[in-house]
Amino acid sequence: MQKIVLVGKPNSGKSLLFNQLTGLRQRVANFPGVTVELKSGKFDQYELVDFPGTYSLQSMSQDESIAVDQLQKAVESEQTSLIVCNLDATKLERSLVFALQVQALAKTHNKGCIFALNMMDEVARLGFDIDTQALSEKLGSKVFAISAKTLIGISEFTQALKNIAASPETAKVKDTEVQALCAVKAASQLAREFGISQDIILKKQNTLDSFLLNSVFGALAFAAIMFFLFQSIFTWAAPLMDAVESGIAWLAQLSTQMLPSGMFNDFVNDAIFGGVGAFLVFVPQIMVLTLIIGLLEDSGYLARAALICHKPLSVFGLSGRSFIPYLSGHACAIPAIMAARTIESPRKRLITMMTVPLMSCSARLPVYALLIAVFVPNVSYLGGWVNLQGAVFFLLYFGGILTALIVSKVLNHYVDDASNQSDLPFILELPSYRLPHWRPLFYKTLNSAVYFIKRAAPIIFTVSLVIWVLGYFPANGDLQNSYLAMIGRVIEPVFSPLGVDWRYGVAILVSFLAREVFVGVLGTLFNIENADENITGLSEQIQADGFTLASGIALLAFYVIALQCVATVATLKGETGKNRYSWGVFVAYGLLAYALSAILYALLS
Amino acid sequence: MTIWDLPKHAKGQITGLNASVNSNLGQRLEEMGFVEGQIVQCMKRTPFKGPLVIQIQDCVYSLEKALAEQIIVSASLASA
Repeated sequence: MQKIVLVGKPNSGKSLLFNQLTGLRQRVANFPGVTVELKSGKFDQYELVDFPGTYSLQSMSQDESIAVDQLQKAVESEQTSLIVCNLDATKLERSLVFALQVQALAKTHNKGCIFALNMMDEVARLGFDIDTQALSEKLGSKVFAISAKTLIGISEFTQALKNIAASPETAKVKDTEVQALCAVKAASQLAREFGISQDIILKKQNTLDSFLLNSVFGALAFAAIMFFLFQSIFTWAAPLMDAVESGIAWLAQLSTQMLPSGMFNDFVNDAIFGGVGAFLVFVPQIMVLTLIIGLLEDSGYLARAALICHKPLSVFGLSGRSFIPYLSGHACAIPAIMAARTIESPRKRLITMMTVPLMSCSARLPVYALLIAVFVPNVSYLGGWVNLQGAVFFLLYFGGILTALIVSKVLNHYVDDASNQSDLPFILELPSYRLPHWRPLFYKTLNSAVYFIKRAAPIIFTVSLVIWVLGYFPANGDLQNSYLAMIGRVIEPVFSPLGVDWRYGVAILVSFLAREVFVGVLGTLFNIENADENITGLSEQIQADGFTLASGIALLAFYVIALQCVATVATLKGETGKNRYSWGVFVAYGLLAYALSAILYALLS
Repeated sequence: MTIWDLPKHAKGQITGLNASVNSNLGQRLEEMGFVEGQIVQCMKRTPFKGPLVIQIQDCVYSLEKALAEQIIVSASLASA
């Protein structure tokens, strides 16, 4: 299949244009460099490849060098027929620098090249117009005025793109005077002639920034946004979680009545509804978290947050850019570790990657939520705005962040100094504030749930199955005399310093595959044990079973720190290329978690 | 003086980069708009010598002290 390459500077509406052309749902990132992977989709009979936003063909950070290498290969490739350069019409000069470099590259390799002058809705709103015909003559390539957001000119552009892609030689770059200049000078000259007045565009942005970056209000706003984020995980998701929980309980009851009683009935009830069902309850929380991070990303606030955090983070040897991996690490460590590619300094990048697993990712959510529901009362203060369970949640997240900062500080002493010399300074573009695009955001939220279920469900199902078989036999449902109990009692001494019995020990051990398995395993075990009782939530079952506050706190501390995720270790290995970083981090956090929770239990009991 | 020395709201005109800036970084800065003759306005300074926010043509950037000190400006223009 012939390829069409789409390039452009960060924050230029490129991802949105890609979505409009391919109909493919993918993330629209408003933060420089979030799009680190190449995205491709089908446009007509062609493959449209979306390249990460870069400022220049000369790369500074790792994500840029990946992007630039790939771009150069793609332009050279026989398969590529056409290059589309996306321009931000409101920031003509900046986006032209890169676009002109790409155009020159296309010309060298005799490839077709056209320009999409995006964000024309903004230009029109400010009362300006751009003479695309004249611009196109100066550039020596066709220019199309569009807005991927309001769909101005999109249907014409789509049609033109089809025609040009069918005969790309019509889009060959023509020689013009401008091309003789270097990209920086040419961009400046063209922007003076065609660009719109910048003061007007930046006025709104600067007014908002004077508030959001103010040393007092800005800090307060930052704290409020973060607190709101964590509260909402609990309060907004609660009705949805209740709905899922009662839905599962209803299904479980229905199936128990429908199926003949016996071993199969027990299996469906214990392993399927108890094990897998207990974990599904937490999917709404993952969706709410993804939605809010997505909102912050689309609005342009994330870049401001990185700026606010730069100074405090640099105390711990990190960069303001570390904030983004840290924040998205609260959804999942895997994309967060990859997002660390945008960090300009290799040393800071390494430290960020090694500490990201300490962020309380969504797989920890089920465990936190279960344990909190067991021993923290659900009471609200200040007219329902502050919830005690939500506050404990906040504390756990904070604990993870604090540990990450301390570990960063320590690592800073040990990471070899050679990598210091290539340290690059912190510079970040503050993009214009934008309203989020709801449809892509909605799909992204939905995708996060689907992805999470797809990834975790098979593991949880398999583990639940194995645990159920071991826990059911040979005594046909008597857990205390099962194979699992025999195994469990052997490993029990290891976990007794945390104040938990063998059932929790088994759950902890198995959850080194993936944390969320903890909930599934306990769900299965308690369902086998309480087979005769009415189906109640897992947290009520654990409460009834008797569970001390001290072991609750010890277990929470354990889960805050331990790196229990095979996929994260694999990603760390892939990104650092060294076992000593991936498995080293795995072992170190495991030991630290165990020691800390044993100490906490000893102090509290 | 350098960009780092610009008080809030003050404007300066770029006269060049420090000689010690390596060529990669220098070229990147040019591509981002930091070229001779360009007007830079300091929009914001953050406490504890944190990064400052500057506007240069159509872009707003945030840059830290170590970098701001590499870009030399002349303060010939009256503050806005």
